[in-house]
Amino acid sequence: MNTNMTYLTDVAMITCVVQSGDADVIVKAARDAGATGVLVHQSRGVGIRERLGILGIAVDASKDVISVLVSSEQTDIVASNIFKAGQFDAPGRGFLYITPLEKVATYIPETVKETLRNKDSVQEKS
Amino acid sequence: MSDSYRFGNYQRALGHGDAEFSFNALNPKLEWDSHGHLIPYQPPRIDLTPREIFKLLSPYVSVRFMEQVKSVIPLGLYLALFQILILRQLVQDSWMIMSGLFAVIVGLMFFMEGLKLGLMPFGTIIGKRLPEKSPLPLVLVITLLLGIGVTFAEPAIGALKVAGQNVVVEKAAYLYALLNDWSEALVLVIGFSVGLAAVIGTLRFLYGWSLKPFIYGSLAPVLALTVYGASDPDLTTVLGLAWDAGAVTTGPVTVPLVLALGIGIATAAGKGDSGLSGFGIVTMASLFPVIGVLILAFYIASTVTPAEIIAAAHHASGAVQAVTPAWYERSPGMEIVLGVRAILPLVLFLFVVLRFILNDSLPNKGEILYGIGLTIIGMCVFNLGLTYGLSQLGGTVGSLVPAAFMSLSGVPISPIYVYSVGLILSLAFAWGLGFGATVAEPALNALGTTAENLTNGVFKKKTLIMAVSLGVGVGIATGLAKLIFDLPLVWLILVGYLLAFVLTIFSSEAFVNVAWDSAGVTTGPITVPLVLAMGLGFGNATHAVEGFGILSMASIGPILTVLMTGLWADYKAKAQARAALEAKVGSRFQEVQGIV
Repeated sequence: MNTNMTYLTDVAMITCVVQSGDADVIVKAARDAGATGVLVHQSRGVGIRERLGILGIAVDASKDVISVLVSSEQTDIVASNIFKAGQFDAPGRGFLYITPLEKVATYIPETVKETLRNKDSVQEKS
Repeated sequence: MSDSYRFGNYQRALGHGDAEFSFNALNPKLEWDSHGHLIPYQPPRIDLTPREIFKLLSPYVSVRFMEQVKSVIPLGLYLALFQILILRQLVQDSWMIMSGLFAVIVGLMFFMEGLKLGLMPFGTIIGKRLPEKSPLPLVLVITLLLGIGVTFAEPAIGALKVAGQNVVVEKAAYLYALLNDWSEALVLVIGFSVGLAAVIGTLRFLYGWSLKPFIYGSLAPVLALTVYGASDPDLTTVLGLAWDAGAVTTGPVTVPLVLALGIGIATAAGKGDSGLSGFGIVTMASLFPVIGVLILAFYIASTVTPAEIIAAAHHASGAVQAVTPAWYERSPGMEIVLGVRAILPLVLFLFVVLRFILNDSLPNKGEILYGIGLTIIGMCVFNLGLTYGLSQLGGTVGSLVPAAFMSLSGVPISPIYVYSVGLILSLAFAWGLGFGATVAEPALNALGTTAENLTNGVFKKKTLIMAVSLGVGVGIATGLAKLIFDLPLVWLILVGYLLAFVLTIFSSEAFVNVAWDSAGVTTGPITVPLVLAMGLGFGNATHAVEGFGILSMASIGPILTVLMTGLWADYKAKAQARAALEAKVGSRFQEVQGIV
C-alpha cells in the first residue's frame, strides 16, 4: 500500500458569510465559476444587527457560512461571481474573505494523477 | 519567443476596477481608565442613506411578501377562474375582494414575522427555563393557560365569528346561540380543550407513552357525544361546528408555541427530543375541542329553549337597527379591536410568567416589542382582509357553485349545466380546492421532512404530501356532497373515524403519529376561512340548515389516506425484504432498495 501523501499546492479558501437560507445562491455561483466542492455550515453572527438599531431586524442573526476551496488562479473569478450573486454590494447581505492555504491533501484519482504527471513533464521539457 | 503570463496575474492586474483599502484605517479608538483597564468599546450606530435602507429592506420584505403571495394568490385565482369560466359569473365587488386579499397577504406577512420575532422567543425562553425552576403541576397549569391564550390569538378563530353572522336563527337556534350570544364562551371552551390537549401531550412525551391509547380514549367519548347529539334534532345543527372547531384550533400560533413549551419540559426532564415527541399534541388539540364544544352546546340546550333564542335574536336585531353601533362594533373598528384583544392577553400572560414566576427579564427588549407590535398590526390587517377578502370570496363562490346544477334565484342562466354534469363539476371544484390548498401548505412540507426522517425514508416526503392532499381533496368534496344531499354528518364522522380507529390498530406507532397529526397541519389561516365561508355560502344557496362540517371532513380524509398509505408502504417494504432474503443475491443491497 502506498502511504505517500499527495499534496495539492496553490490552494485558496473563500469563506462567505450570508444570511441563513441564502447559501444555495452562493453555492451555485461558486460552482458555476468552476469551484469543485463547497462546505456549508450554520452559524450565528453578532455585530451588524446591534449597530443598525431597528433596521437590524432585516438581517437574520443566523448565518450560513460557506467555505469554498479553489486554486489560487481561480480565486478572483469565483470570488467576484459570489460577490455578484450574493449581492454583497447591498448592506447586510454578507461578506467573503480569502485565505491562502499552504497545502491540501486528499485522495486524487489515478487518472488525474496521470494527467498531472504528464503536465509536469511537459513543463520540464519546455 | 512569446511571453507567457499567468491568467490569474493578468486578471489581478486588470482588477475589474476593484479597490483595496487597509482595514487598519477603520481601527476603533480604544480608551483605558485611570487603573489601566480597558473601557469596553461601544461601536457607533451605523447611519444608512435612504438608498441603502431601501437596499437593506427590499429583500427582507419581498421574501416574506412572496411567501404569502404564493399561498393566497393561486387559491384566489382558482376560485375566480372557476367562477368566471365554469359558472360564467363575474366576480362581484372584485376590487374590494382584491384589496381584501392584499390585506390578507400583508397581514399574514406582518403576523408571521411578528410571531417569529416577538412571541417565539418568549415561548422558547419559558419552555427552557420554566421546567427547571417550577414544579411539574405549576408547569402544567401554565401550559393549560397558554393553550387558552394561543387559541384566542389564532387568526382563523376570527373566521368562526364571521361565520356566525350568516347563520339563520330559525333554522339552527343552538348553532346561532353558540356563535353569537355564547361566542366568547365558545372560544374559551375551545381554548381550554387545546390547553388540556397540551397538558396531556406534554405528559405523554415526558413519560414516552404511546399515542394509540390516547386516540382510542378520546375517540370513544367524542363519538358517543356525537351520536347523542345527533339523536336530538335541535342539537344536530351544532355537530358540524363542533367538529370544525377542532380543525380551526391547530394553526400557526398554537402549534409552535405549545410545542416549544412541551419540548422544553421534556428536555428538562432529560427526555430529549426523541423525534416523536413533537407529535400527538396536534391530534389531541383537534379532538378535544369537539368534546368541549359539544358539552357547551348541551349545557346551553339544558338552560334555554330554541324559542327563547329566536325571540332574543329578533329582539337584538330590532335593537341594532335602531341605533348605529359604536365605532368599535362597526366593521373597520371591530376588526382592530378583535386583533388587539386576540394578541394582548397572550403577551401579558407570557410576560407575567416570565417576570414573576421565572424572575427573568427579556433579552433584546426592543426587538421583542417590535415583534409584538407587528403581530398585533398583522392580526388587525388580517382580520380586515378576512372580512372583505377571504370570507367574501369564499361566500360568493360558495353561493354560486350550486348554480351549476340547480336553479338559483340570483343567477338567471341557472342551472348552467345538466344536473349530473353540474354536480360532477361542483365536486371536482371542491376536490381541486382542497388538493391545491394543501399541496402548497408550508407546514405540510415540514411534516413531510419529519416523517421521512422518522420512518428512515420508508415514507417519502412526496408520498406524504400527495396522500394528505388527496385526503383533504376527497374530504372537502365529501363535505360538499354532504351539503348537497343533506347527508347526516354523524354517519360520515362515525364511519370515517371508526375506519381510522381500525386502521390505527394495525399501523405502527410512527405512522399513527404522522397520520393523526397531518389532519391538523392542513388547516392553515387561509384555508380555514375560505372553506368555512364557502360552505356557509353554499349551504345558504342550497337551503341546507347549516354549512359547517366541510372542515371536519377535510380532517378525517388525510388521516385515512395517510394510514392506508402507511400500511401499504409497510407491506411493500416487508414484501421486498422477504424477496431479497429469498434471492440471497446482494441481499443487503436490495434491502436498502426495498426501504427506499
